[in-house]
Amino acid sequence: MQFEWTEEQDAFRHKIRDFLHANLPDDWEKFSEHGPASPALTAFARRFCVTLAEVGLLFPHWPQEMGGEGLGPWEQQILSEEMWIAGEPRGGQYMNVNWIGPTLEKYGTPAQKARYLEPITRGESLWCQGFSEPDAGSDLASLRTRAMLKDGNYVINGQKIWTSYAGLADTCFLLTRTSDDRKKGITIVLVPMDTPGITVRQIPSLIGEGDIHEVFFDDVTVPETARFGEEGQAWEIVAYSLRNERLGIPRFMLARAALDRAVMMLQERGDFAREYIRIEAARCAALCEAAGTANYAVVQKRLDGLAIGAESSSARYATVMAERAVCEFVVEFLPEALAGASPYLKMHHQRGIVAGIAAGSAEIQLNIIASEVLELPREPR
Amino acid sequence: MQLGLNADQRQVLDSVDALARPFLSPPLHDAGLALESEELDAALIENGFLDVMAVEELGPVTAALVVEKLARLPFAVEAAASALVRPLIDPELPRPLCLVEEGRISVPLRFLRPGATVVVVGPSGVRSFAASGGLIASAQDDTLYAYPVAFLVGLPEAMTVHDVDPAEVIRSWRVAMAAEAAGLLGAALASVVTYVSERKQFGRPLGTFQAMRHRLAEAQVATNTAYWLAMRAAASGDHADAAMALLHAQDAARRVCYDYHQFLGGMGMTLEHPLHLWTYRLKLLTAELGGRGAQGLAAAEALWG
Repeated sequence: MQFEWTEEQDAFRHKIRDFLHANLPDDWEKFSEHGPASPALTAFARRFCVTLAEVGLLFPHWPQEMGGEGLGPWEQQILSEEMWIAGEPRGGQYMNVNWIGPTLEKYGTPAQKARYLEPITRGESLWCQGFSEPDAGSDLASLRTRAMLKDGNYVINGQKIWTSYAGLADTCFLLTRTSDDRKKGITIVLVPMDTPGITVRQIPSLIGEGDIHEVFFDDVTVPETARFGEEGQAWEIVAYSLRNERLGIPRFMLARAALDRAVMMLQERGDFAREYIRIEAARCAALCEAAGTANYAVVQKRLDGLAIGAESSSARYATVMAERAVCEFVVEFLPEALAGASPYLKMHHQRGIVAGIAAGSAEIQLNIIASEVLELPREPR
Repeated sequence: MQLGLNADQRQVLDSVDALARPFLSPPLHDAGLALESEELDAALIENGFLDVMAVEELGPVTAALVVEKLARLPFAVEAAASALVRPLIDPELPRPLCLVEEGRISVPLRFLRPGATVVVVGPSGVRSFAASGGLIASAQDDTLYAYPVAFLVGLPEAMTVHDVDPAEVIRSWRVAMAAEAAGLLGAALASVVTYVSERKQFGRPLGTFQAMRHRLAEAQVATNTAYWLAMRAAASGDHADAAMALLHAQDAARRVCYDYHQFLGGMGMTLEHPLHLWTYRLKLLTAELGGRGAQGLAAAEALWG
C-alpha cells in the first residue's frame, strides 16, 4: 500500500498544468465563471479540445486500440483532477472521454463507432444525456419517453428534463421506453439533436448559465440503426457507464482548491486567527481528503481489473459531504464570495450544490451502500 | 499510488487473523465492560506483530494495518502505542505503553498499571518512567469505558529523557489512534449490521427501514474513509495527514456511538450485546489528544500556517 504518485505520474500532472498555463487565456478564471455548459465556454471548448487532441491530452488514458496511449486509470484521474480544478476547460466534452467514448467502444455497432468516435477524438463533438424526466428522477426506471419501431424507424415521443448541455449538444444519449417491462423495457437511442421534432428549452438555474434544459420529443424519427445495444439493454449499459461517471468528476479536488482559496482570503483580511474558523476549515479539509482517498480506492479496484460496484457510491457520498462542507464554510465565513468577491468560490458553489443531485441522488447512493456494501436486507417495495 | 495490500502485508494480516481466531467472540459468561486477554497479548509479542514497523519491508503502514485489525477484536489490546509510537522513542520500552500529554495528566489513562511505561510528551520534550503502584490511582470499578483505565496521581522526580522530537511523537500518536479508531468503527458497524438484519419489528428486519439504512450507510462512508485516512497518514508521515485522520475518526466516532446503541433499542442498553466493547472504547478515543478541536487546530496549523 503506498500513496505517492510515481515520477511519471507527477510528470504527467505537470505536463497538463504547464499546458493549461500556456494555453488558457489570461482572463480564464473570470471567463470560466460562465460555467462549463454556457455558450461561451462550449464555444471555447470546441477550439480547446481540438488543441488537446493535437497534443495528446484529450484521451491519453484510452487503450491504444482506441487511439489512446493506454495510460490507464490513474492518468485518467490526474487528467480529470487538473481539468476540473482549472474550471473544466473541456466543457461538456469531459463526458466524451470519460464514458461516452468507452461505452461506444464496448457496446456500439461498427457504424456507430465510425460515426461518433472520430469526432470525439478530434475534440469536436458535444453530447447530452437524456435520462431524467419530469416523473422519472431518482426512479429512473419509471421513464416514459416512448420509442416505437415503425417501418425500420424509431418514432420518439416524450420529454426529458434537467438535461445538461442539451442546448448546444450534437447528439443525445437518450433513454427511451420500448416496452412496459420496467428496467427491461428501456432502450438507448442515439439521437442527433438537429432531428426535426426536438425542442430544447433552457431552465433558469442556480448552477450556472445554460446548464440545464427541458427537451421535448414530438414524433422524432430516427432509423432503427440509431438504437444503441439491444432493446431492453439500456439498464445494463447505463449501470456500466454511470460507474465511470460517478468517478468521472473529481469534485473533491475543486472543493479542496476552493477551501484553500477561502482560507487565503480569510488570512488576507486577518480572520484566520479565529480558532473556530480554523477548526471548521480543518474539518472541511479532512472531508475533502477523505473523499479523495475513497475515490482513489475505487480507481485502484478498476486498475486491478475488478468490477466497480457499490463502493463508487460510497466514494461519491464522501464527495457530496466534502462539497457540502466547503460550500457551507464559504457562506458562513466569507458571505461576500458569492456576491462578487470571488468568481472562483462562486463558481465552486454553483458546481458544489450539484454534487448530491447529478448522476444519481445522494439518497440513492445511500440505498445502494445499504444494500450492496452493508448487505442489509432490502426494503419491501 | 498503489492502494492494495502487498504480499508481505497480506501475509502479516493473515497471520494476525490466524492468531486472533480464538479471540473473535467475547466469552459468554463475562459481562464486564472492558475485556482483556493476557494470552492474546503474549501471542502478539511472541510473534513480533507489534514490532513490524521497524522491519524495512513492512514499515508504518503495516503497523497501522495490524493495529486496525486488532482493534476489531472484542478484547482491548495495547497495540497502537506500542506498534506505532514506541519504535520512535525506544523499541525496548516495556509494555503496555501509556501516552500522556504534558500538562494533561489528569485524564483516564488506558492500560495504566504498575510496570507500564508512561511517556509524557510536550514542550519539555519526551520523557518516560515505569509506573509504580504509588503513582497510580485506580478508576472506579464500574468505569464506563471498555478499556482498562487508571489515573496518574503525579509524576516521579526523575524521568528518562528521550532524544526525539515531541512533534514527531504526537504525529505518530495521532496515526496510532486513528488506526485503532478505524478498526473499532469497522467492528462496531459490522456488529450493528448483523443485529438489525436479524431483529424483526412490524414483521420485517429493522435493517429494511430507510430511517436506519441511511444512517448506517453514512456510517459506512465515514468508517471507510477513516480507514483510508489513517493508512495514508501512516504512509506519508505528514503532520497534516495525521491530524486530519484523527479528526475525521473522532468525528465519526462521536456520531456512530450514539446511533449504534440507538439502533439496538433495548439491547443497546445492556451488556448482553457486545457492541459496547467497541463503542465504549471509541468514546474514550474521542477525548484522545484533546479531541476534535485540538486535531482541527493542529491540522489547520500544518496545512495553512
